[in-house]
Amino acid sequence: MEQVGFALGELCITGEGSSRGRMGRKRHSDDIEDTSQFKSKNLKAERKRREKLSNRLLTLRALVPLITNMNKATIVEDAITYILGLQKTVEVLQDQLCEFEASSQEDAKPRNEVEVDAAGGTNGSGIQAEVQVTVIDEDRLWIKIIFEKKRGGFTRLMEAMRAFGLEFIDANVTTSLGTMLVSSSVKGIYGEKLAVQYTRELLLDIINGI
Amino acid sequence: MLVNPSGVFLATSRTVDNFFSKRGPKEAAGDNESESGPKMYVETDCQDPNPRTEGAVAAAIAEGGFSQTVPNSTHKNHSGFEENLKLSMQELSYHHHHHHQNPIHEDAAAVTAMEIELQQQLAFNMDNSYNTADHNNSHSFMNNSYSVREKQEIDHFNQHHPHQDQQLQQIDSHQSFDYSSQQNYPYTPEPDLLNLFHLPRYSVSPLLTNSSISFSNPSQKTANYQNAHGLLEDAPTAADSASGASFLYDPLFHLNLHPQPPLIKEYFESLPNGYMPGSRNGSFSCPGGDEREGSGSVYQDGDLRQFENGVLEFTSDMACIAKSRDGETKATEHQRRQQPDKASVVADAIEYIKELTRRVNELKWLVEKKRCGRETSKRPKTEDDDAVNDEESCNMKPLGDTDHSFNGSLRCSWLRRKSKYTEVDVRIIHDEVTIKLVQRKNNCLVFVSKALDELQLDLHHVASGHIGDFYSFLINSKICEGSSVYASSIADKLIEVVDRQCAAVQPTAYYRDGEDCPGKQVTP
Repeated sequence: MEQVGFALGELCITGEGSSRGRMGRKRHSDDIEDTSQFKSKNLKAERKRREKLSNRLLTLRALVPLITNMNKATIVEDAITYILGLQKTVEVLQDQLCEFEASSQEDAKPRNEVEVDAAGGTNGSGIQAEVQVTVIDEDRLWIKIIFEKKRGGFTRLMEAMRAFGLEFIDANVTTSLGTMLVSSSVKGIYGEKLAVQYTRELLLDIINGI
Repeated sequence: MLVNPSGVFLATSRTVDNFFSKRGPKEAAGDNESESGPKMYVETDCQDPNPRTEGAVAAAIAEGGFSQTVPNSTHKNHSGFEENLKLSMQELSYHHHHHHQNPIHEDAAAVTAMEIELQQQLAFNMDNSYNTADHNNSHSFMNNSYSVREKQEIDHFNQHHPHQDQQLQQIDSHQSFDYSSQQNYPYTPEPDLLNLFHLPRYSVSPLLTNSSISFSNPSQKTANYQNAHGLLEDAPTAADSASGASFLYDPLFHLNLHPQPPLIKEYFESLPNGYMPGSRNGSFSCPGGDEREGSGSVYQDGDLRQFENGVLEFTSDMACIAKSRDGETKATEHQRRQQPDKASVVADAIEYIKELTRRVNELKWLVEKKRCGRETSKRPKTEDDDAVNDEESCNMKPLGDTDHSFNGSLRCSWLRRKSKYTEVDVRIIHDEVTIKLVQRKNNCLVFVSKALDELQLDLHHVASGHIGDFYSFLINSKICEGSSVYASSIADKLIEVVDRQCAAVQPTAYYRDGEDCPGKQVTP
């Protein structure tokens, strides 16, 4: 910052000198005016830059529980210490969580099973599994699939589709009353053309298998 | 000291550096990181050998016994680069045969992997050069590769480990740092040099690569940051021991380098990659203007100018080292452009502190919840076993130390992570997680869905879109009962999965080099 100060000082001096020159000698004016304008723009930019930096340092100071003096160097130093401390805390807490996870896994398992059963309630809501396939372009189909929501079901659907060379483009999935609706346009991975009926039957099979 | 043919970064060989000063288009570099095996990126020699002259001298000094054949080609245009590629391949294979220190099996694996990649790279580069004539890309790529290479060199010096495995590991981690779209390890630091940065491994940031530049040009940075920069304390010793690096010291001293307070550089160390200056502007390497982008990804016009002048024909790192006929101003200006702005570093520090505070709060809440859960499980279980009840029972229990205010309120946290090609935004309110994922390269819904299953998140809603090159996903899911997953683990895992697996997928019709590694073909 000292250097900036010196630079600014020099600028001020030259600015003043040029203005004196302007008054004294009119011929030199253009050049000197240009340089003084240039320098003053630079001054403004420089000032703005410094203000930006100091504002941000103030914000930083506000966030950090500073212990020592309030000058730039110590703000930065203390921020560094604080950040390192926070990182350590994060690590420690994550380790603690891991321990808890490890020790309480037995509790978790029965709960998961309960969840899976609860998810499979399609029949109760009366929504039937369904597949619709339409051609929307030369190599694209639009599909709509409704199936019973199970944990991991969507992933299995995606993987099966991929295994058969179908790729979802712009998929949309919603869930309601224990069923899942997938609507998407589908393209062949290798650019091949897809047959509607074949695709439909394939999807029905996949859904039944989920 | 190992010499790896073609792209494997076994840090020691500067001979390899001599031949590979550049790489192909940046995509290839971006695609080459994978944790598996010796597959590293292919270094192809796209342009000329200015670095070779200095690098060659450096290498010759430092490595003594290696036979250096500095190619005399002085092709300065893209048109010449195929020849350079071929030349470099030959030279590499030549060198490969002449260095026997590598364990044979690793060599073989490395060679095959390399050759495959080199071929691919060659094909792609040629394609690229003729089709796109995109100088920017190739140069940025070169820069990436070179900076990583340099890092590895210095790393080698610092570590003094001749073992290939270790180097491979270092290379892996270096690559992970450099190519953000690649690897995002779980939050356990590896014992390598870059750990001193205390940076989590989820993205590459220009910041980090700036630090790498600080290694590759130890002279320029050391002059300024010796006091504060812990890593640089290593660097001088390394540099002294390696006259190759010390060779780099001299030319830069006469340059007027920007003096910066040493402490600012410690910021660089402690900020994670996701908080890079300019990262808020958008992570997807927008060419143009952003002064901090240069080291990480696309190279700016300034670099292009350098190349077009025919004066500085090599990567930015070397540009800093070499004397430019245009005068030092260009190099210094270039360096200055690469250095993150003080104000933006402070801004990033502010954001990072806020994120850390959020994470700490979230983790404390979870730990508290777990602890309360354990306490209540010792009592007879009530009908409702959910979180709310736990919270209440915790509040009722007279536990002296802990503050139960967290448990009375809803859990909420928010996190954002960026990597080179991916951006993830995770928000958690109570047990619902909203994830926004924007990915630049591949449609990775299937991988995302699988990752979420593994994280015990129940998908409820997905909206995905495909805009131009970008795939975006908005995902609503619920945290399954009993799972204590937290926002940063979700974000880290997603970035890791998406970057790693999507990079390995070969997209539909056209050929993308560098992505395929023999072990990772996706077979439907």
